[in-house]
Parts: sequence; C-alpha cells; structure tokens
Amino acid sequence: MTAERIFVVGPPVRAAIFGAYLAARWLRPGRCLEIAVEGESECSSDFLTRPNVHHFHHELGLPIEQFMRQCGGTLAFSTPVETALGVVRLPFTQFGVPRAGVGFHHYLMRADNLSDQPDLNQFSLSLELEQAGSDQTLSQLAKLPIEFGLTVNREAYAKTLLSFAATNGAKVVHGEADPGNVDLVVDCRVSDALPTWSAQAMTTGAVGAFAGIEWHVMSSAVKRLVNLAAPLADCLPEQAEWTRLARAEQERIADMEELLMADDLDVVARSTLQRKLDVFSACGRIPIEDYEVFAAPEWIAAFRAQGVNPARYDRMADALPRAELLSWIAQLKVQISGLTEQVRTA
Amino acid sequence: MVVVGGGTAGWMTAAGLVSMLGVQRLGEAGIEVTLIESEAIGVVGVGEATLPHIKQFNDTIGVNEAEFMAATSATFKLGIEFVNWGRKGDSYIHPFGEFGLSNDGVAFHQYWRKFAGEPGVGALDDYSLPVVAARMGKFQPPSDDPRSVMSTYRYAYQFDALQYAPFMRGHAEARGVTRIEGKVIDVALDPESGRVASLKIENGEVIKGDMFVDCTGFLGLLIERVLETGYDDWSNFLPADRAVAIPCKSAEPLLPYTRAIAESSGWRWRIPLQHRTGNGHVYSSQFIGDDEACDTLLKGLDGEPITEPRFLRFVTGKRRKLWNRNVVAIGLSAGFLEPLESTSIYLIQEGITKLLELFPADGNDEAEVAEYNRWMDLQFERIRDFLILHYNATERDDSEFWNYMRTMQVPDSLAERLALFSARGHISSYDHGLFLLPSWVAVLIGQRVIPDSYDSRVERQSDAEITRHLSGLKNHMAQAASSMEDHAAFLVRNSMMSTAA
Repeated sequence: MTAERIFVVGPPVRAAIFGAYLAARWLRPGRCLEIAVEGESECSSDFLTRPNVHHFHHELGLPIEQFMRQCGGTLAFSTPVETALGVVRLPFTQFGVPRAGVGFHHYLMRADNLSDQPDLNQFSLSLELEQAGSDQTLSQLAKLPIEFGLTVNREAYAKTLLSFAATNGAKVVHGEADPGNVDLVVDCRVSDALPTWSAQAMTTGAVGAFAGIEWHVMSSAVKRLVNLAAPLADCLPEQAEWTRLARAEQERIADMEELLMADDLDVVARSTLQRKLDVFSACGRIPIEDYEVFAAPEWIAAFRAQGVNPARYDRMADALPRAELLSWIAQLKVQISGLTEQVRTA
Repeated sequence: MVVVGGGTAGWMTAAGLVSMLGVQRLGEAGIEVTLIESEAIGVVGVGEATLPHIKQFNDTIGVNEAEFMAATSATFKLGIEFVNWGRKGDSYIHPFGEFGLSNDGVAFHQYWRKFAGEPGVGALDDYSLPVVAARMGKFQPPSDDPRSVMSTYRYAYQFDALQYAPFMRGHAEARGVTRIEGKVIDVALDPESGRVASLKIENGEVIKGDMFVDCTGFLGLLIERVLETGYDDWSNFLPADRAVAIPCKSAEPLLPYTRAIAESSGWRWRIPLQHRTGNGHVYSSQFIGDDEACDTLLKGLDGEPITEPRFLRFVTGKRRKLWNRNVVAIGLSAGFLEPLESTSIYLIQEGITKLLELFPADGNDEAEVAEYNRWMDLQFERIRDFLILHYNATERDDSEFWNYMRTMQVPDSLAERLALFSARGHISSYDHGLFLLPSWVAVLIGQRVIPDSYDSRVERQSDAEITRHLSGLKNHMAQAASSMEDHAAFLVRNSMMSTAA
C-alpha cells in the first residue's frame, strides 16, 4: 500500500499550527507529513490565540503551563482591534450574568432608565482583568467564570509547534522544497483566494484583519480536515464539506470585519451583518447564524464601539422587581471589582 | 395581545405569553392577553406526540408534571419506532438520546460501523439506552449526573390533544388570560398601516389589539384570509396531502414510544395514551383513495375503534411570512408538516419562544419581524429536509408511491448530506436546527444507508479494544434498561394516571 502524503507550505506560524495538529492527530504508520516553512523566521510580535486554544493544545497533548513558558505566553481576555475609532476590545466572556434567557445588558439598560448606572464595560470581568494589567496566573483564574486565550511570541510559538511536529514524526523543510508526488498540498500562505479543498490542493485563505483570527482560521482548518478523516485519494464529499464549512466561517469573520472597519454603517454590504445591526439596534438581541466565530459579548462590544445601541431592552427584563434589579446590579459590580482586585494583588 | 383560536396552538400561545410577559410577572409593564374562541368551531387537536422540548416549555411556564400527565391522559415517550421504512419488515427507533459514547472526538457509530454485521455486534439500536428501554416497555426519568449512562437520554410525552388545550386554558386563565367566546365575523384594518386594528365577533363586540396571533388552524383567518400572505407549497417534496384518524381502545402493554408504520402510499401512526390509542393514516391522494386509506388504517388497529374515522386535508408547506404586519401565525395557520417526527407542537413552541424573545415595544417592528420570519423559515426548512430523508432513503419499490419517493430529486442540502454520510458516516453539521447528529444517524442507519467506510481515526484503537468496548457497552445498556421501572407501573406509582384510564 502506498503511503499517504501531505505537504504543508506557508509562513512559519501558519504552517506550524497546521502541521503540529496533523502530526499529533493524523500522522501514523503509512502516512507522511512534510511541513515546508517559508521565510527564515517571523518577527517577534505578539500572536493572539482565542479561548479554544486550551482545547487545541489539550488535543496535541501539550501542557499549557509548559507551553506558556516556552512561548512567553500571557493570558488574554479580549481581542484588541485597531479601528478608525481607536482600539476596540472584544471580550471573550459575557457581560455580567444573564437571567432567564435574557442578556445582562438588557437588565443594565432597564436599571439605567431608573437611575444612573456604571458603563456596561465595568460589568465585564474580561475587560476589567485586562485593564488591571498585571500578569495573572492560570491558578488564579482556575475558579473564575472566565474565558481566556493566550498572547504568545509569534516566533517562539512557531518554533515550539514545529519542534513538536518534528518530534511527532513530521519532516520540517524549507519552503522552496519541491512537494513531489503528494496526495494533498495544503497552502497556508496568505492569499485572497476563498478557502477551498479540491483535488490535491487545499488553500486556507486570508489571514483576517485583526488579532486572533489567523490562529482561529488555521486551527479550525486543520481540525476540520482531521475530523473529516478520509483517504485522500477518494474524498470528494469530504472536500465539499470542508470547503462549505471553511467558507461559512470566513463569512462570519467578514461580518465582524465589516462592522469594525466600517466608516458608515448606513451602507453595509453584507446582508448577514445588516440583519445583526437591525435586530441589535431594535431590541438588543443578536441573530445567530450557523458556524458563528464570535460570541455575543464580542458582538455587543463591537456594536457599542460603533455607537450602535439598542432602542429598547427586552421586555422580559421587567420580570425582576425594581429594587431587586438595582440591588443585584450593585452587588454584581462589587463582586467584579472584588475579583479583579483579588487577582491584581495576589 | 389578542390570540384568535383556542386549540393547542391558541392556548399554548396564550399560556406562554401570559406566563412570561403578563401583568402577574411584569407588573405595570406586563401585557394583557385575550383569547377569542368559539365552541361552535371544532379543533384539529394537533400533536398528540411531542418532542422533549415540550418539557422545557411546561417547566418554564410552571406546569406541574404529574398534574399535566393525569389531566391529559399522557404517557412518556422515549422515541419513535419506524416500521417498514427502509424495507418491509424493518424496524428501528429514533430515540431521544445518544448512541453509545463518542471517543476521542469520533462519534460512536463510526466504531459500530467498522464491526457492523459481525457476530454479537448487533444493531446500532442496541447501544442506545432509550431504544433498549423503549423496547422493554420501561421508563425512568433521566439522571442529572453526566457520568451516568442514565443521563444519555431525554423524554417527551404522548397526550390527548383534546385534553391538552383545556389544561392549558386553565393554566392560562389562572394567570390572567381573558377568554372571549365568539366567532370572529369581521376584521378591521388600519387604513394607513394596513395592520389589523380590531376584530368583531358575532354578538357585535369589537376587540381591539396591538398584536394578533392567528391560531385559527388551516383556515388562517387573519394571516391568509385577511392579509393574503401567501403559502410556500412543498408538496413536490412531501406529496402526502390527507390523513384519516381514529382512536381505539388501549392495547397492552402501554408503550413508551410512538410508532410510524410505512404503508403502500403513506404511513400510519400509533400513539399509546393512558385511556386510548391514537391512530391515523397519512397518505397521498395521488396514489390512494380515501376508502382504501381508511381500510388500511382500520385493518391495522390493535383495539376496538372508539369513534368514526375523521378525515383531514392539508397542503404541506408554510406561509411566506409567519409574521406579517401585526399578525403572527402559530400552529396550523403557520404551515403544515406531516407529524412523522412529532414536530407540530415543537413548531408552536418555537414560534412562541421566538415571539417572546423579539416581542416588540411598539409598531416599529420591522427588524423583529424579519428576524422572526428568517428563524422560523429555517426551522421549517430543516425539518422538511429531515422528513424527506425518511421517504427518500429507502429500498422500497413495491408501490408507485415508493418508486416516486425513492427516485425524487431532493433539495441540494439533503443530497450533499446523503453523499457525505454514505462515504464515511460523517454528518454535515449545522448549529441551529431541531435534528442534530444522533437523529440523522438514527434515521440514516435505520433506513439502511450504511456508509461505505468509516472515519479512519477509528484505526487508532485496536480491533480487540473496540469489540471489547462494544460488548461491554451493549451489556451495560441492557442492564441499565432492565433496572428501570415498567412504564405503566411508573405512571401509577407517581399518581400520573388520569381518571379516564
């Protein structure tokens, strides 16, 4: 039986993410994996990974503490996005606490109508911890209800993952290497092409306009390939499914990019974004599509940054008696401040 | 808020709205809910069989389960048995739960597929606790402990729809819904906006409202007769257009599942309730006449008929807009999908839930309306595709009807799903639809769509490990099911039996 061969080519960090996962989850006797790294090294800039990085590394069998040491990792609670309006932070964890299926921002809006309330951002543990600025440790966060990713050194991250891939049987070569006779060439280079898997070629597509997306796109692309495990010589339905899912993901990312980069929200090109804008500005709900990449708090933060606020709150938020509502919100504010202070001074 | 029509959909809607948005809950911000119904108009009594979501609805609006069970002569339901669908003589259960346990990110059916057909491995059904329990006639509420195999299923109810509406009425009226007896004879529209302004009933009373929910069944009094919304006809995909129903005396044992038996030009349902068994035959009039359809139904009864047969006509499809101006159609006025997967009450519930989420503050509700319609369209379309699967994934060639269904052109989305599954058992996923992976696996494998191969990650485990795991799991399921209580005994012990039973 002929060995199945995959050839991954691209810049270090992108090829490393794809290659490391394949080495851990796809490679086995009878299969070959080559990772062709283009460019000698990458700049030592920060590289953001989103909260599902923990699951990704768990699947690789890379302990997160060790990994953080090797890559100079720090905890990340939000995605910072440079926009014309300044830096917008998209928090990974929800604002406040939802009740009875109604988001916290509805309750805060109602409370604000009754008496002045702190800004919604002050009810985001993510944003408060981010602002607190000190280097939190994993053990400090273990018991907190918070999602977090990691900011790592790009170059160190690529090296760590490439080394991991090599240890697990992948062959790491220079980008100029000839792929030769392979079953699949995965092109991780930045391009404007739509993500596609067809015949013996896969392109992962664009990087994304802001931090965290590059990691997300690469990690989900390779996971999708492995989850659709199929003989590479005979996988037309799987190719179609990979392409469908990758493009759907790209659509969801494009919605957020257009929202954050728009100069004028009266002229929105994307109908799915228009729907989100219309519904959020009407009633504070966020319509969800299949394969969303960004969670509700990220959308709320992005809308608010663009000056889009709901015209009204959800009527079900009226279910809480006035006094109870105000007291609950005040307590929540104290709790969040307390938790932030506790982590900061520990 | 004015609800027109007092069947299952009408009283569920009124109860849901008043429980979540009524004055008792929201105080001065609460809404007033009025329901208009006429005793002179019969109800279809849709949806005797339900899906597990109904429990969440009942819990949310504060329904006591034991009271509800007794009041509606309800039984528990662990799934739906499909008989004669893949081939004549076949039987499988679509359960409300998982098959086996996934391992290392690989779904259980992939491991099963590798050894399917080998001695001792058995059917996929053997690895689903709700299926095994259902076949034994057992029931027990699931465990909250996620480590327990007893947490791998959910349950629904089979109830008397003609008793359910009055039960919901009692619940709704106790929470402040005002009921008005009368037949709507005129509808006044606002001349500027075209929105419904008021309804006039037979005694001359005029009822005004800000919003109206049309629960008038197939008639669609407001949504169609008045607003002329239009209807998407899906009978090219699902040609069944008639049903005949008849209840019969109960037959022992009291089964915790609904049965759907494929016939030459449609299918029959059998729904065991405490005091009777509900039966019906859904069929296509292009392929069979009413008399023959009725004969087929009567021949299949396992008890003495209680009433005369009742015939229904329908067109499968949905309104072009389920929310049009200030009218929301919920129930049969919104659309009709045959009850093969017991989805009627689910769609009512989903309509109520979405309406509650998007409930508008004033007349400026364009965004909410668009979102409601998009969401409900998605629900209807995804259920439609799942229903088509039952008819299309078949080897039956014993009638014109089955030849048509087996060879028909299915929607592209379904064709792609079938191709993907047929190759290596992967299920094309979506995030927002009623039927998720276990449901698709149940029907596909139950109807003999056996993948050509399996996920190659299965090879990470040795054959010996997998077969040992399969054997252990199968025994575990059988033991767990055996330890459950007899379904009828459970109802009696928990005071859930109705006086009629």
